[in-house]
Amino acid sequence: MSLIEVENLTKVYGAGETAVTALSEVTLRVEVGEFVAIMGPSGCGKSTLLHLMGGLDRPSSGEVVIDGEKLSRLSDEALTRLRRRKIGFVFQFFNLIPVLTATENAALPVTLDGVKPAQAKAQARVWLEKVGLGKRLDSRPDQLSGGQQQRVAVARALVADPKLILADEPTGNLDTRASEEVVGLLRQAADDWQRAVVMVTHDPRIAAYADRILFLRDGVLVEEMHLDQGQTGSADRVMDTMRQLA
Amino acid sequence: MLGFELTLAARELSKRKLRTFLTTAAITLGTLVIFGMNILLPTMLKAFQANLLMASGQVDLTVTLKTGEAFSRSTLTRVRRVPGVSAVSGILSRTINIPDKFYGKTNVAALTLTGIDPSAAQTLRTYTIVGGRFLRSDDPQAAVITQSLADQLGLQVGDKLKVPTTDGAFSFKVVGLLPARTLPGNEEVLITLTQAQKLLDLPDRINTVEANLDTTDPARRQVILDQVAADLGKDYTLGGMSAGSEIMSSLQTGQIAFNLFGFLSLFMGGFIILNTFRTIVAERRHDIGMLRAIGASRRTILSLILVEGLVQGVIGTAIGIGLGYLLGAGIVYLETGLMAQYIHIQMGQPVVTLELLVVTACLGVGVTVLAGLLPALAATRVTPLEALRPPVADAGQRIGRRSFVVGVVFLVLGIAGFAVGGIKLAALGCLAFLIGLILVAPTLVRPIASVFSVLIGLIFAREGTGTIAQSNLVRQPSRAAITASSTMIGLAIIVGMGGLVFSITGGFLDVLQRSLGSDYLVMPPSVGLWKSNVGARSDLADRLRNVPGVAVVSSLRYASASGNGQDVALLGINPTDYARVASLTFQQGDGPTAYAALSAGRGLIANGIFTAQAALKLGDEVQLSTPTGVKPYTVVGIAGDYLNAKISTAYISQASLQADFRKTEDVFIQLNLAPEADPAQVEPRLKDILADYPQFSLVSGRGYVEQNQKIFDAVFGFLFVLLGVLTMPSLIALLNTLAIGVIERTREIGMLRAIGSTRRQVRRMVIAEALLLAALGTALGLLAGLYLGYVMVLGMSVGGYPIHYVFPFAGLVAATAIGLLFGVLAAIIPARQAAHMDIIRALQYE
Repeated sequence: MSLIEVENLTKVYGAGETAVTALSEVTLRVEVGEFVAIMGPSGCGKSTLLHLMGGLDRPSSGEVVIDGEKLSRLSDEALTRLRRRKIGFVFQFFNLIPVLTATENAALPVTLDGVKPAQAKAQARVWLEKVGLGKRLDSRPDQLSGGQQQRVAVARALVADPKLILADEPTGNLDTRASEEVVGLLRQAADDWQRAVVMVTHDPRIAAYADRILFLRDGVLVEEMHLDQGQTGSADRVMDTMRQLA
Repeated sequence: MLGFELTLAARELSKRKLRTFLTTAAITLGTLVIFGMNILLPTMLKAFQANLLMASGQVDLTVTLKTGEAFSRSTLTRVRRVPGVSAVSGILSRTINIPDKFYGKTNVAALTLTGIDPSAAQTLRTYTIVGGRFLRSDDPQAAVITQSLADQLGLQVGDKLKVPTTDGAFSFKVVGLLPARTLPGNEEVLITLTQAQKLLDLPDRINTVEANLDTTDPARRQVILDQVAADLGKDYTLGGMSAGSEIMSSLQTGQIAFNLFGFLSLFMGGFIILNTFRTIVAERRHDIGMLRAIGASRRTILSLILVEGLVQGVIGTAIGIGLGYLLGAGIVYLETGLMAQYIHIQMGQPVVTLELLVVTACLGVGVTVLAGLLPALAATRVTPLEALRPPVADAGQRIGRRSFVVGVVFLVLGIAGFAVGGIKLAALGCLAFLIGLILVAPTLVRPIASVFSVLIGLIFAREGTGTIAQSNLVRQPSRAAITASSTMIGLAIIVGMGGLVFSITGGFLDVLQRSLGSDYLVMPPSVGLWKSNVGARSDLADRLRNVPGVAVVSSLRYASASGNGQDVALLGINPTDYARVASLTFQQGDGPTAYAALSAGRGLIANGIFTAQAALKLGDEVQLSTPTGVKPYTVVGIAGDYLNAKISTAYISQASLQADFRKTEDVFIQLNLAPEADPAQVEPRLKDILADYPQFSLVSGRGYVEQNQKIFDAVFGFLFVLLGVLTMPSLIALLNTLAIGVIERTREIGMLRAIGSTRRQVRRMVIAEALLLAALGTALGLLAGLYLGYVMVLGMSVGGYPIHYVFPFAGLVAATAIGLLFGVLAAIIPARQAAHMDIIRALQYE
């Protein structure tokens, strides 16, 4: 059984004449240790797909199963608990709490889960060391660069040992170097720490870090590309495919 | 888990120090007023109660006339005849207000002159003599005083003690000393009963019977007391004294009024909290969404916001309680000296009950948490998706149509209550009107803002600041409305009180002129407290009348009575002379007819308070209880004068007062000079005569009127200062809203600066917004205040102070000025902040 099973997922916004189909009959699977990128032109439904996979939104029809749990059957509370324990999120705008330190921000998911503060912080420190921020543990977000802030966010996504990492344009607000660092961390999460990583991006060079790329157009899954991380030129292949879709 | 919420709350609060301070200050002010006043007033009540208990606890039974007047000695015999009464003694006791400087530098405000029958008194009480000897029946010139009074006046046994009496100042010889007085109350001067009766011009009369009973068995004692009560009839009071209850009831009224003000401040505080937390939630939508996305439950979000409110509530309340204690204890401390000096009451320590502490804490914290609850619930509805959307400032907020409709209904009800009339409906109407205004305020923001922005546009010509300010305000109409509502409440109180004060002063000054328009006034130490003033025998008036150049002399005499079951002060006038020196202000009936009716027999002119209390109208018959039995009097007029405006009073002829109440003592004298008389010659002669009567002072009528006007101005000035303090929360609310607006729009302000706005323009934009907000609050406040003032004047009229409503133009102008001044004051800090913003940082602000 795959870690994520998405079956015939459809999302329609609005009703009647103004109804807009954001996602139509999407089916896919993601395995443990796999890094999947989702690409497509603006408005193709890639973010909607990510939101539905993360239980942030409810589908119009279809089903998302994460680690054997059908999201449609979960209450708001159970869904919240599932997000807290099984999913780690990385957002485009970092979304760190400005008044908390790097350690406290990274510790949030475990703190929210009721872990004692000292232990939660210890866990957070371990992950901050791993993402290379061992020297900025007590810095506030406004004392960190964008790349550093996003690395705190990655540590936060990993701290609760979730099986799945969902990243929504994680490099959208970063320069090239910081982008590469962050996506490198996501790659590491899949390879070294055996997490399933699903990332939405529109940057072919960033997408090229994935094992597999899913292309969406008008809410429909239109193409799937497998990449070999040993090979070069992956980014160009991705760009070609994007051009064909556009 | 709560630890995390506390940490986050503490960090967020310390990040926005100004906002935290202002929000907390709002709560502090409310709890301060409630706590402080509730410490002060019970402490005073307790002092009075302790005083009364101690004073009445000495003998088994005291009998007084309900009216407090003197009565015949025969009552003594009637008490003595009741089986079980073992000893009785008659007393004639009277508080004597002492004029300033009467005893040189030592200030004694009042003494109690007590005439006793030396032998009978000693069968009831044990008098310990610490120097000299006790009184003897054949001792008309002798007095026994306490060691403490002797020390105070520097007297020893054998020295003379001067006391003002109806016969002029009288000198007693101090023959004995009692131990120093430890009880609260005035110092007592014991003299013989016969001498007291002579000096107080009450021959053969007493005003208290003291008695001891032959048993300590409670059941048996009750039987005896019941028998005494039955024998004496309902005109007499048995047991403890009722004096001072008037002070207690006015203290209680004060407590209610201050509590009301405290609740209003807390209410405004609640508004401020509500506004702040709505902003906090709006500001942190992104953070909240993120927390929801990474697994925070709705309950966690709710408690995050509520804990932040709780922290502020707890801190604000704690500071408020602390400052309130200092306020209450400070006033108690300052008053202790005054109270001890003037009424010999020991104030004791401030009374802080656990109950008060708990109630205040619950109110302060409760209001904060309650006000934070709505925004907190809104926060729980923030979806995790909010975290994923790029932050875009809200361009506008929709206004609930339902609250507008409900508000209009309330306004209509309010106006209906006003139109139908009657104090109850008008009061309810006023409340409905206030609620209605608060509810429709959000909808009014847009139209009022556009009207005023035209004005502001004229002032800050062609900079576009007015337009931006207006649209900023309209962007958050309900926040603007909540802020304006708190300004409204503050200003409504000012306009309302202004209406009341102008109505009172307008009416009263007129009455003052009429009542005290005579050339000279011969004044006792305290006007209105007729009972404790020592007057003069009628020969003083005669001597004044005989001074060449004096045309007419008219006096007031006093007795207390009860009419139709209501206590009333009776003033005896000479109907013909009185009309020549002064006049009553008539509401019903007219002067000539009424004065003629007084001359003719048992006629009575009732003032407004007595009319209201006893439910009287012209022509009614009033049953007055007199020392000689119940007598019927006819109401021949409804009218009042200045001196007795606050006291339930009736005017009868001096002839009736003498016949029914045996009173001939003049307590107040007015006189007019002949047209050709020279005041410079007459005045020294009048002063010569009055030198024998130190309790009286000679004042020119015009001088007195002016002096009173000054007192009026001072009292109302103080009142307005107090009200000013109570409007502080509305200033805080304005400041808060503006500061929040600036913080919220940091990025926009950065953009404006980046594309070329000067600091000056940005500052003006904030000031314009402040003025718009203040104008809105002021407009609503004026409306609400006019209604409030009308209701208060109506309430006064129903309570027996008939005054005509005077439209408070000056109050409106003052309130408008205060409202706009608040606007400018509130804008200072936020405008500075906006103008000095670092452009780059502002543009990067999230």
